[in-house]
Amino acid sequence: MDPRALRKLWRHRGAMVGAALVLFVLALGAFGPYLAPHPPAQQFRGELLVDGLPVGPFEVEGFPLGADPLGRDLLSRLLHGARLSLSIALLATFIATVIGVSVGLISGYAGGFVDGLAMRFVDLILSLPFLLIAIVIQKSLDGAGIFFISVLLGVLSWTGLARITRAKTLQARSLEYVEAARALGYGELRILLRHVLPNIVGPALAIGTLMVANMILAESALSFLGFGLAPPAASWGSMLSESQSLMEWQPTLTLFPALLISATVFGFNLLGEGLRDAFDARL
Amino acid sequence: MRKAASRVGEARSRWGGALILVALFALGAFFISRIPAEPAFPRYVGAGDPTPRAGGTFEWTVGSAVRTLDPHIAYDTLSFQAVRLVFDGLLDYDDEGNLIPSLARELPEPLDDGRSFRFRLREDVYFHDGTHLDAEVVSFSFHEMLSRSKGSPGYGFFKVLKGAEAYHQGEAERVEGIVVEDRFTIRFDLEERNLTFLNAIALPFAYPVSPKNIERFRGDRAGLARNPVGTGPFVFDDWERGVKLTFKRNAHYFEKNRPNPDTMVMWENVDGTTAARRFRNGDIDILSGAPKVHLLFFQNSPAWKPYLFLEPSVTLFGLAMNCEIPPLDNVHVRRAIAAAIDRQAISDFMLGLVRPTGQPIPPQLKGYDPELPTAQRYDPERAREELRIAGYPNGLPEPIEVWIGEGEGSRNLAQLWQSDLAEVGIPIRLKQVAFSAYLVETAKEKTVPMFVSGWMMDFPDPSNFLDVLFSSKSIHPVHSENRSFYRNAELDDLLDRARGEIDPEKRASLYRAANEIVARDAPWAFLYNAVDFVVVQPYVKGYRHHPVWANEYRGVWLDLPRRAASEKDFDVHSRDEVRTDGVDGGDAR
Repeated sequence: MDPRALRKLWRHRGAMVGAALVLFVLALGAFGPYLAPHPPAQQFRGELLVDGLPVGPFEVEGFPLGADPLGRDLLSRLLHGARLSLSIALLATFIATVIGVSVGLISGYAGGFVDGLAMRFVDLILSLPFLLIAIVIQKSLDGAGIFFISVLLGVLSWTGLARITRAKTLQARSLEYVEAARALGYGELRILLRHVLPNIVGPALAIGTLMVANMILAESALSFLGFGLAPPAASWGSMLSESQSLMEWQPTLTLFPALLISATVFGFNLLGEGLRDAFDARL
Repeated sequence: MRKAASRVGEARSRWGGALILVALFALGAFFISRIPAEPAFPRYVGAGDPTPRAGGTFEWTVGSAVRTLDPHIAYDTLSFQAVRLVFDGLLDYDDEGNLIPSLARELPEPLDDGRSFRFRLREDVYFHDGTHLDAEVVSFSFHEMLSRSKGSPGYGFFKVLKGAEAYHQGEAERVEGIVVEDRFTIRFDLEERNLTFLNAIALPFAYPVSPKNIERFRGDRAGLARNPVGTGPFVFDDWERGVKLTFKRNAHYFEKNRPNPDTMVMWENVDGTTAARRFRNGDIDILSGAPKVHLLFFQNSPAWKPYLFLEPSVTLFGLAMNCEIPPLDNVHVRRAIAAAIDRQAISDFMLGLVRPTGQPIPPQLKGYDPELPTAQRYDPERAREELRIAGYPNGLPEPIEVWIGEGEGSRNLAQLWQSDLAEVGIPIRLKQVAFSAYLVETAKEKTVPMFVSGWMMDFPDPSNFLDVLFSSKSIHPVHSENRSFYRNAELDDLLDRARGEIDPEKRASLYRAANEIVARDAPWAFLYNAVDFVVVQPYVKGYRHHPVWANEYRGVWLDLPRRAASEKDFDVHSRDEVRTDGVDGGDAR
């Protein structure tokens, strides 16, 4: 990786704020479930529901953030939700990155018919309304596990990265050392992986980081609409969904998951912007 | 030099950005402050005149779209609301749920030991198009409804008419059991003794329609669905599809000088929260079916409380289990499920908008027994015991798939009993499905193992619950009414005897016995009966929550002229609660 890019990143104030936020959220995802004081699905109807309505923050000892509408500990659900939401976002991003980079590399390097076909396919996927298609697929395949949702989000979002990778590959293909490698008679695969791919790593990192933010939002949207993980799993999106009707009555119910979603998205976006500037990965 | 210049530029752009941000916030705050707050008390009150009188416009909202205004086809609560404004039946129900004559002059006497009924019609009834209502018209309406081409979902209620099936199949020109005796007398002859037939006559399927109008729209079902002509207190005016329906007062109604509003407006597709806001703003006259959280507001507002109606409705909700799909074919597993669920927790969660139950017949109907020995109740120990008997001492190995409705409410409620069931060792997997898919799939045999189910009565009689939901006669391979596919010969026999029993005491005890069997065999985990939550504006008079029709607006009148309310109109003790902003002086309409 280009050391100048790293130096540029280090001096990028926004990127550093973003990196701090991302580290914090990743730590939540990694250690949150161990810190959670209660099981996320356990309902404390007697203690946490008063006349059928959940208690607020600091009203009951041992439950600092209060209860969700079903009398479950809000803090524990947020902490477990961190791991769920982040796992889905990271796994989906990984899937999208692998597909996007592969398609972009092959398309850009092969050119001609393969390129045309791949890019028209990218156009096709880009023309589909994302959420609608995700909902249709989720409904018809009837999957509601972490892996299913991640794959679903991943296979629908690799197209932007494929385009950038293709553009960078086209550039790299005509670089002198690539031509030299070709003149030396190296195999296509070796040239692709050893000489072209390293040019892609920086931009892919930038785009991938931005993508995590989008995945967090997409998962929240799906869960909010009721097409995400099967209950009683707690993701931040499903927590928002389950407290909708009590939003006015107890705003903290929606405030906490919303804050975490915003912080995560903000952090990944800032970091991603910094990376993009550093690696000059513009579409 | 260049460096310095650029720093100045940077500084300027940074301050500029901050300035824009502050300006945006200020603008946002300004707009938010201009949104008028909903007043804590009703915005309008009436003139305080107790004499019922006609006039004004009555508006209300419903949550989805009205499907049809053809009474022969309508079979959902929203269509019923609209159809009942335009049409009358030979019989109707009073506020207590008793049958009363409407287009008929009196309740018919059963002839031939309950196998025949003679109706004498009112002679002063005209349709909105001027057609005079007589026995021929009633007979025409019935033939229209029973015809195969009509495909009325109500056909099953009238199969008991002599010759109805032959006519429906096209084997006869007329229904043998519909006899016009003279111009204003009509007789219905039945195949067998059936005392629920009078209830069928009071269903909207049996409401007389204008033959002239039927002929006008012959072959145009959509046209007929949009152009109803009845005899009712309101004349259909306009239907802006998906938005609103308008009705005008029928000045020539046979019951003279009815104190009805001049115009009735039914707004479609308004969700509960929006409806609650519009109601609090004084834009609509009655609020029904709002989400539970709004109940808190109306209950806690002393000014609103007198206008709040909480009425238990004749409904049944529970978890239906397909008795043909393992492990639910085992009665002990079903009983374990029925015993595992804490019904009081559901009622608390719903803020009392549902009442716990453990038997199929709702409390308002004959055959209900608060002391029923087999009634299902929450008892986790018993649930574990039943699981042991069923051969699952460590709980079920595989999760059962349970279909629930869409939306936040269904999802939250389901997680309540999901956790109860998990507690005793019954894992379930929740699947949210659209209502249309739910209706089709749960009616197929061996398809959906378990699902949330509800039933609203067609008429106030226990047969409408037990016969429809649990008799083996209601089992069909693809269009089953008995969606738990539960069969019990002893129950079938009891229900057959009850249907023809004339003595009300004996009839009630037969249904009680049937009730006991169904509760014991647990084809459903019976969970609760619903409570309807309705609020009316102070100037709306004559509203009674109807035991059969629920949202019944035929009798309302408006205490006009209404005027803006003030604090003084209400005995409000806590002044903090009262906000005076947002109350304007004029009529908002």
